[in-house]
Amino acid sequence: MRKLLLAAALAALCPLTGFAQSTGDLLKGAQNDTSNVLNYGMGYNLQRFSPLTDINRDTVKRLVPVWNYSYDDNKSEESQPIVYQGVLYVTTNAATMALDAKTGQQIWKSKIEYPDETPRIVCCGIINRGVAMYEGKLFRTTLDANVIALDAKTGKELWRSHAIDFKDGYSMTVAPLVADGVVITGISGAEYGIRGFIDGWDPETGKHLWRTYTVAGPDDPNGKTWPGDTYKHGGGSTWITGSYDPELHSVFWGTGNTGSWNPTSHPGDNLYTCSVLALDPKTGQIKWHFQFSPNDPYDYDSVAEMVLADLTIGGKPTKVLMDANRNGYFYVIDRTTGKLITANPYVDKITWAKGIDPESGRPIPSEVTDKVRKGEAQEVWPSALGGKNWSPVSFNPGTGLVYANTLNMGMQYKPVTPEFRAGLTYWGAEIGWAMPDGPRGFLKAIDPMTGKSKWENPSDIPRFSGVMSTAGGLVFAGKLTGEFEAFDADTGKKLWQFKTGSGVEGQPVTWRQDGVQYIAVSSGIGGVYNMFSGDDRLAKVPAGGSLWVFALMPQ
Amino acid sequence: MKVLTCLIAGTLFCAGLSIAHAQTGEEPAPSPEQFAKGANLFAHTCSHCHGPEMVNPGNFSFDLRKFPHDGRERFFNSVRNGKKAMPPWKDILHQDEIEAIWAYVRTGGVAPQ
Ligand code: HEC
Repeated sequence: MRKLLLAAALAALCPLTGFAQSTGDLLKGAQNDTSNVLNYGMGYNLQRFSPLTDINRDTVKRLVPVWNYSYDDNKSEESQPIVYQGVLYVTTNAATMALDAKTGQQIWKSKIEYPDETPRIVCCGIINRGVAMYEGKLFRTTLDANVIALDAKTGKELWRSHAIDFKDGYSMTVAPLVADGVVITGISGAEYGIRGFIDGWDPETGKHLWRTYTVAGPDDPNGKTWPGDTYKHGGGSTWITGSYDPELHSVFWGTGNTGSWNPTSHPGDNLYTCSVLALDPKTGQIKWHFQFSPNDPYDYDSVAEMVLADLTIGGKPTKVLMDANRNGYFYVIDRTTGKLITANPYVDKITWAKGIDPESGRPIPSEVTDKVRKGEAQEVWPSALGGKNWSPVSFNPGTGLVYANTLNMGMQYKPVTPEFRAGLTYWGAEIGWAMPDGPRGFLKAIDPMTGKSKWENPSDIPRFSGVMSTAGGLVFAGKLTGEFEAFDADTGKKLWQFKTGSGVEGQPVTWRQDGVQYIAVSSGIGGVYNMFSGDDRLAKVPAGGSLWVFALMPQ
Repeated sequence: MKVLTCLIAGTLFCAGLSIAHAQTGEEPAPSPEQFAKGANLFAHTCSHCHGPEMVNPGNFSFDLRKFPHDGRERFFNSVRNGKKAMPPWKDILHQDEIEAIWAYVRTGGVAPQ
């Protein structure tokens, strides 16, 4: 009774937004508010860094699971949990769940249904990457391209907005971004001949506010970079959540590969595919664009996270955007102007380009790419999975290093004439793998200005998890064979691991509640590498999604 | 292995071979054209879940290298109507296309000579 009165009194005192997750709360990020994890990427800057130090190099040996929660789902589990006031919100392709963050007790579970046909147009894992939270509501996407809002207290659906017809190849897995009071979502399907876009929605009603196409049409001067009607199936998906700089009032969102992959089917730069866009969150208007891979043949999709940081460059503090691009180069871009600062290889083998022109920012094509553009088959490195795939990196402002799960794979690539049929793939290329004998992946500690690694930790079967770093001198990552691991951030030495029951493809997060630091990560195999690489060694890793939460065992 | 058994059986009971096929439900080898069409369709519509050339760990989808080569009816039923996380294809793939993919799967992805 006392509690109730107190709550009522507080509610009367505080304006409503003080309780709910206001824009102010979202601005803090996990770096300034260690008791919650309110943003995808643990902050608008997507740094995935926590200042918490309870779990550190010395104590990590006492890290033990405190609870495990079954998703009752046997797909890839790539969702990033959101934590607010002791409640953890997480998704699968088939449900949204609220759990007591301390005990793992389910508070509610809200199921998602979609037509059985939907997974036909989902190339790379039947997944969902999580919710966004704002003013008492949760926002998520569905595989069949709807954006929905749920009441965070009850899980009740409040609104549902249909983005586009999945039968034309469109699907949604992205975790929305709420920036300046607008719910922003991307789209998947560049392998199915979609025309990509980014949408803005009203959080209150679900009303569609704006749509910005990532494939320029005739109404855009950059539409000239697409011959004829090719823009209609030009690809440019947007399936990873953007970052946001409130000072510049810009959202930075990466865009995917062209449709079809065959560059001869749409000669030109093909703007804005394989690019990063700086958008006004209120209107969706493009402030600037930077294209990583013009007329890309190789699926060097550039959706993966655009990490924001303030680096000292030439003695000057500079607002930058960092991207370990699929094309094998690590880019540092001035995020105020969109101008390239530097781009260097962060993987050992790149054969498609000779380098990045420092003035124009354009790649200098190699002979391999010249031949491919003439329609010839070639061996190409990195493979279509990239130097790094979607697995998000972590930037530790203390060490100045970017920790990334990188890939070491090539491919046999053959352009073929694409044929468009709605709801089927529109690849325009045949690919086989060119696998190295040894490790197919490395967790690397990358210097963003040089692309060089301070240390590397190899893995025969490459890691596909998200990475998180902490001020405790630790880097967390997971393996497809199930190990969730902690590394020394300075040396790369493995300090700890715990074997989960399936492969780890999730995105670790950490928070502190009632004096205890917790770490959560999803386990559950079934993503792109598992399905598409033909790696038989994974036959010994069973499917089965669940969430693991860890804390230090008392001394 | 199956091919080998068949060959040996063939030399022994040459005359009875086609009858044996009918009884076990095994079908004659597809034409090279049909096989190639099936391989191409497989690469474009099935390989992202079932692996390139059917090589996949079998922990998410079905390891089609292990699909019974005399399981025509089951194959058509599952592909047309779907099964659990396996999507249905009957509204989008034509009968002759499923037939070609079946030719590819039931020969274990080994092109006919
Ligand atoms: C979105 C992923 C996906 C795609 C695309 C896909 N499949 Fe499947 N398939 C599955 C899954 C998952 C299973 C296992 C279903 C189960 O749990 O029984 C399966 C099972 C099967 C089976 C075995 C069914 C049985 O009777 O046990 C066959 C045959 C099959 N798939 C054929 C195909 C063919 C042919 C294609 C291309 C036209 C295809 N699949 C495309 C996911 C997929």
